[in-house]
Amino acid sequence: MLLAGVGCKGAQDRPDRIIVSGSTTLLPIAEQASEAFTTQNPSATVLVSGLGSSAGIEAVCAGTSQIGTSSRDLKEEEESLGLVDTPVAYDGIAVIVSPSNPVQNLSTQQLQDIFAGKIVNWREVGGADRRIDLVNRDEASGTREAFKKIVMGDVPFDRAAAVLPGTGQVRDVVARAPGAIGYISLGFVKPRFTDVRVKALKVDEVMPCEETVANQKYPVGRTLHFFTKGEPTGLTKEFISFVLSDEVQKGVVVDAGFIPVAEGGSR
Amino acid sequence: MSENEHHQAGSLQLVSRSTYLKESLLKAIFFACAFMFVLAVALIFIFVGWKAWPIVTEYGLWKFISGSVWSSGTEEFGILPLIVGSVIVTLGALALGTPLAVGTAVFLSDVASPRVRSIVRPAVELLAGVPSVVYGFFGIILLRAVVSDFTGTLGFGAFTAWIVLAIMIVPTIAALSEDALRSIPEGIREASYAMGATQWQTIYKVVVPAAKIGIIDAIILGMGRAIGETMAVLMVVGNAPVFPRGIFAPLATMTSQIVMDMPYAVGLHRTALFAMAAMLFIFSMLLVATVRLLSRLRD
Repeated sequence: MLLAGVGCKGAQDRPDRIIVSGSTTLLPIAEQASEAFTTQNPSATVLVSGLGSSAGIEAVCAGTSQIGTSSRDLKEEEESLGLVDTPVAYDGIAVIVSPSNPVQNLSTQQLQDIFAGKIVNWREVGGADRRIDLVNRDEASGTREAFKKIVMGDVPFDRAAAVLPGTGQVRDVVARAPGAIGYISLGFVKPRFTDVRVKALKVDEVMPCEETVANQKYPVGRTLHFFTKGEPTGLTKEFISFVLSDEVQKGVVVDAGFIPVAEGGSR
Repeated sequence: MSENEHHQAGSLQLVSRSTYLKESLLKAIFFACAFMFVLAVALIFIFVGWKAWPIVTEYGLWKFISGSVWSSGTEEFGILPLIVGSVIVTLGALALGTPLAVGTAVFLSDVASPRVRSIVRPAVELLAGVPSVVYGFFGIILLRAVVSDFTGTLGFGAFTAWIVLAIMIVPTIAALSEDALRSIPEGIREASYAMGATQWQTIYKVVVPAAKIGIIDAIILGMGRAIGETMAVLMVVGNAPVFPRGIFAPLATMTSQIVMDMPYAVGLHRTALFAMAAMLFIFSMLLVATVRLLSRLRD
């Protein structure tokens, strides 16, 4: 059955199959929700892929996906594309360092100066005398986009920073290097698949956790979106309602370390 | 070659018509194969050149080649740091890999017993066949972590790339150098021994110098592989498009930057990527030209 469907018709022609693509941050939510959804609706197929938020938005515009998942808001030039936004969760971006790093807190200003390459030694922010090794994400990353918007503003990133194409890589690299600093989604700070540990820093004296992100005390937070081209209909609508249901919000979303939309209030 | 063809053409008139047709058809098929290939290369080159051309008209070729800032956000596309990155990574890998590869080749052609050769040779050939992403994976998981632990840095940078690339180009250089060494007639070795030279003297005074051009050929082809290598490099260089601060600091190469930027590049940015591809095309043409020139020297 599954084989017969592959490659025969365009995605739009098959109402029993939808494609969800985009943010790698949203991948755990989308994947687990699709698994549960297709178990409950055996005739439906939900294909999930993580290519980065920009790719997801592009795919939903081009019609190759029914849902584009994004960990960033729409850019100005994307606002006129007729995309309908459904927030599905909130996420905090944690600033991570190696567990051996004595620094506990950074202000948003210090954070900006560090990632702009103005502060280059941990000594300048109360740490050991050691060079700061910056770890950045690639430009297709929604996490980078959100971090840039919230922390950097118009200040450019230091281009000498290492640029890594995935959250998992940032985590692995920062965990081992004593001078490294990076940023990842709050949901990936706790070790789930590995026992490699990283330490999340307080920002402006606020510890990133579900509560502080949901009540917006933690400064580096964002909304995770499902974008559809026009109001969702049919299977797309059913799937989105399922993702917004308590089953997913209190289960998958919380398990993945994100904050359910119902508790977060509007942003 | 041409004499042989002449002979065939002459004899074809003596065979039956159906054999003649069959022969002509085969000739046409082989010609089509070769022609398709040339056509594909030409089309790719034309396409890349066409897509890259606006960099000359809209950005400026000199600014593109000599600019030291690569930043898509500010529409600055200077590839000098990326050229420097490619050169550093390639030359370092060659410096590490060449002695190892030539040593292996000499061992295989002149030192090893048939039994040992029957083990080492397949091992070298096997290395040549491993997909580059596997090397990259090894590089990022194992090597980078080790380098990171030893140096206290992130572990990305030229040093890590050198090791990964050296392992990748050794089989290429070794296999081709061995061919060159084995093509030296046995008589030359025997003459050397007859003069009272030891095995080692024979190798470094007679055999290796005689195969010199073939070995240089092999090194240039290894260089081509190192410059063009993308996946493995991308995974271990750290992808910072700047002049590196040291051999343990992140850098980027032309190929790795193309892959990093490809998914989201539009407009002039995409053009700059095509222009970089054109640069790589020209680089590899120069390498091929050098190899051709050298083999003409050898003949």
